[in-house]
Amino acid sequence: MGRYILRRLLQALPLLFAISIASFAILKATPGGPLAAYEGNPSFTDADRLRLEHAFGLDRPLPVQYLSWLGSFLTGDWGYGFASHQPVLMLIGERLPNTLLLMGTVFVVVLLFAIPIGVTTALKQYSVYDHAVTGATFTFLSTPTFWLGLLLIILFGLQLRWLPLGGVSTPGAPFDVVDRLRHLILPVATISLVQLGSHVRYLRASMLETIGQDYMRTARAKGLAERVVVLRHALKNAAIPLVTVVALDVPELFVGALVTEQIFGWPGMGRLFLDAAFRSDYPVLQGILAVSSTLIVLANLLADVAYGYLDPRIRYS
Amino acid sequence: MRRLSMAVAVVSLVLAACGQPAEVGTSAAPSATVAATASPTPGGTAIVAIWQFPATLAAHYANQTVTTIVNNGVLEGLAATATDGSYYPVLATEVPTLANGGAKVTADGKKLDVTWKLKSGIKWSDGTPLTSADIKYTWEIWMKDPKVNNRTGFSEIESIDLPNETTAVVHYKSIYAPYVGNFFWLMPKNLLEKEADISKTDYIRRPLGTGPFKVSEFKTDESITLEKNPNYRESGKPYLDKVIFKSVPSSQVGLAQLKAGEVHAMWNLTEAQTPEVEKESSLALLVVQGPTVERIEMNTALNQENTDPNSVHPVLGDIEMRKALLYATPKQQIIDKLLFGKAKPGSSPVSQGWAAYKEPQEGYDPKKANDVLDKAGWVKGSDGIRSKNGVRASLTYATTTGDQLRERVQQVLVDEWKAIGVEVKIQNQPSSVLLSGSCTGKDPRKLGTFDLLMYASTPEIDPHGTILPRYHSKQIPTAADCSGQNYTRFKNPEADKAIEEAGSTIDLEKRKAAYAKVMKALNDAYVIIWMYDRANIDARVTGLQGFQGNTWQRFTWNIQDWWLKK
Repeated sequence: MGRYILRRLLQALPLLFAISIASFAILKATPGGPLAAYEGNPSFTDADRLRLEHAFGLDRPLPVQYLSWLGSFLTGDWGYGFASHQPVLMLIGERLPNTLLLMGTVFVVVLLFAIPIGVTTALKQYSVYDHAVTGATFTFLSTPTFWLGLLLIILFGLQLRWLPLGGVSTPGAPFDVVDRLRHLILPVATISLVQLGSHVRYLRASMLETIGQDYMRTARAKGLAERVVVLRHALKNAAIPLVTVVALDVPELFVGALVTEQIFGWPGMGRLFLDAAFRSDYPVLQGILAVSSTLIVLANLLADVAYGYLDPRIRYS
Repeated sequence: MRRLSMAVAVVSLVLAACGQPAEVGTSAAPSATVAATASPTPGGTAIVAIWQFPATLAAHYANQTVTTIVNNGVLEGLAATATDGSYYPVLATEVPTLANGGAKVTADGKKLDVTWKLKSGIKWSDGTPLTSADIKYTWEIWMKDPKVNNRTGFSEIESIDLPNETTAVVHYKSIYAPYVGNFFWLMPKNLLEKEADISKTDYIRRPLGTGPFKVSEFKTDESITLEKNPNYRESGKPYLDKVIFKSVPSSQVGLAQLKAGEVHAMWNLTEAQTPEVEKESSLALLVVQGPTVERIEMNTALNQENTDPNSVHPVLGDIEMRKALLYATPKQQIIDKLLFGKAKPGSSPVSQGWAAYKEPQEGYDPKKANDVLDKAGWVKGSDGIRSKNGVRASLTYATTTGDQLRERVQQVLVDEWKAIGVEVKIQNQPSSVLLSGSCTGKDPRKLGTFDLLMYASTPEIDPHGTILPRYHSKQIPTAADCSGQNYTRFKNPEADKAIEEAGSTIDLEKRKAAYAKVMKALNDAYVIIWMYDRANIDARVTGLQGFQGNTWQRFTWNIQDWWLKK
């Protein structure tokens, strides 16, 4: 097992290297560029452009730009954002707690609901309950977050005035847990409902498949309690597809939710990324992309390792 | 191009000497009217919704409008612009002009010396005194720091002498006309001079100023809190204890929060949002005519990359076609229906200030449009689209993507123009490309790869910086020299001569007449449809008082006069 993990980690290095080159190339190929924001100013001259290009290191050949970024990135210097002139690590550090709070809550909420609902719908296939859940999950699964988010804002924020319209807290007010929670409800609900839809579908499908397996009958024949049969024998095996999906949720804890953070004015990683993308703020974008691609690779590895625990038939070589 | 000719400069000096600053009077004057109509009660916290967030507040790095909105409460300069385009002193005792002897052309007639005198007893918000050394430092840092936004004006300065603590004599290399606008924001020498790299200091988010407030908290993408500056020079002001600039995800949400009473004011509404504000008795709008002009530019040269300025566009090369498009443009209807009457029909690139040209373009008349095209030999085909000598009257129409108002205007015009037999296809691009202003950034205006292009531009107070680069025939961007902004490829020797004349006379009236000549020639060539002069629209709850408009500044410009009704 240890050797397997080590091998996978070594394999990941060239992959991450390739990803970083590809993302660098894509960023550079996007039209506009970081100086586009200055162009609207009639006082901005060609001399200013050349000076800033030099100050930001944009006048160097592309391979040099990439290698110098990679070199400093690996030694812990992630550079400075072009727009804010602040260290990228600090910009990320400011947003990360907000995103962890939002996405962590979503992560927990989704699992708390997805597992019981997924299992019970499979056990009661074709019941009214199952049809209702299937209908609801398909509805949420196919609802874009930007629409659902706005709908919730209009309903609970504008019409009913129950909840705030956005932000993480009331500005100017001292720290208050209740205030924080009130701000958290709508964005968490928006992301959770959509994610819940997909997770319940996965779990239901694999539960149905597992329930029909021979070993289930064997387990029951041995006289095991129904609860043990369902949780130990069925769910443990059926959870494999869900584990992949959940493992891929882990990087989102860092990346945040692009659309939802934008709609709710949540000062998290998703908004940082989006703002940086609009401004072609390369150092910020590359920093976020490097971390998120690393997390995705690690999350995949985590999922693969988890399979072995869940299904002893899977062997690593 | 940046360096205006000597004559231009002198005229502006004359202009500045004409007495506008005196009319505006002392720094207290702009607020005097407010104080007279209501008696302000001090105290309270005002929350202002902003739907963009400043990346930095540092004076010399800032390049976002929203930064100015916030910094208006924090930073000050020697002078500022009044709504009529004249200057009034802020930290200086008076605006130096030729008349009051503050500005002097050197004996050889080639250079300019400007003497600024600071009001006495002014302190930075940390309590350290403001001195003339700060003026010199502001220039030095602007020239030294490689990451400053731009060096307009500062690069024209040769040296600065400091005869005493409150006097700075600025020696310009040439006769630089807009010298008053040079020091709109001062930077503190004592705080910053020991820093090797200001971008790594706290100044980035908490700039030190002399303004009515100081930054007490900067929470990225959340809020910026300003707190009363105890050392502010005007006693009893600001009236408010605190101002919080609160980040909202969009202007729609900002408006919703304004209606819900969660914020007291919001920055920048679209025209389409104004009816919603007008029907609420607890809200009020601030609509101020700005210098920004929305226009549709027509490419008279071939629509191809690095177009030859002397080539002729197969469709738009015909002046009758361009006329017809103007006649079939219902400006007033668009303004009434899509902009809710909150704009004025455009007539020229310079709509505000002393050189404003307001001779209107011909009005909406689709019948005339059809007649003109019939006469010019553009014959309608079976599908209703005209053609001439085998060339189909088919054009592309570009503007920035994601702009609802512009997209609606496009829909109206596509229909209107189809009705006169001209087919128009919408081909929008993100503003970062469409208006990148760079050839390598593939700006279609620079390359010449457009037929019709709709965007807005904001001229500077002195019109030369707009007229020269945009309408002189030598300013047509080419592969060899991409710097010009004559995007329609407008060529008129008379206009060229007038532009050069305006740059070589010291007579203000002559100069104004020369610009008028250029703008008339431009309109006679029918290369640009001036759609509308746009207004800056902000909103507030009626309980927030002291709001005043200023054409050349943003609505927070007099934030020291704001107060909350109890």
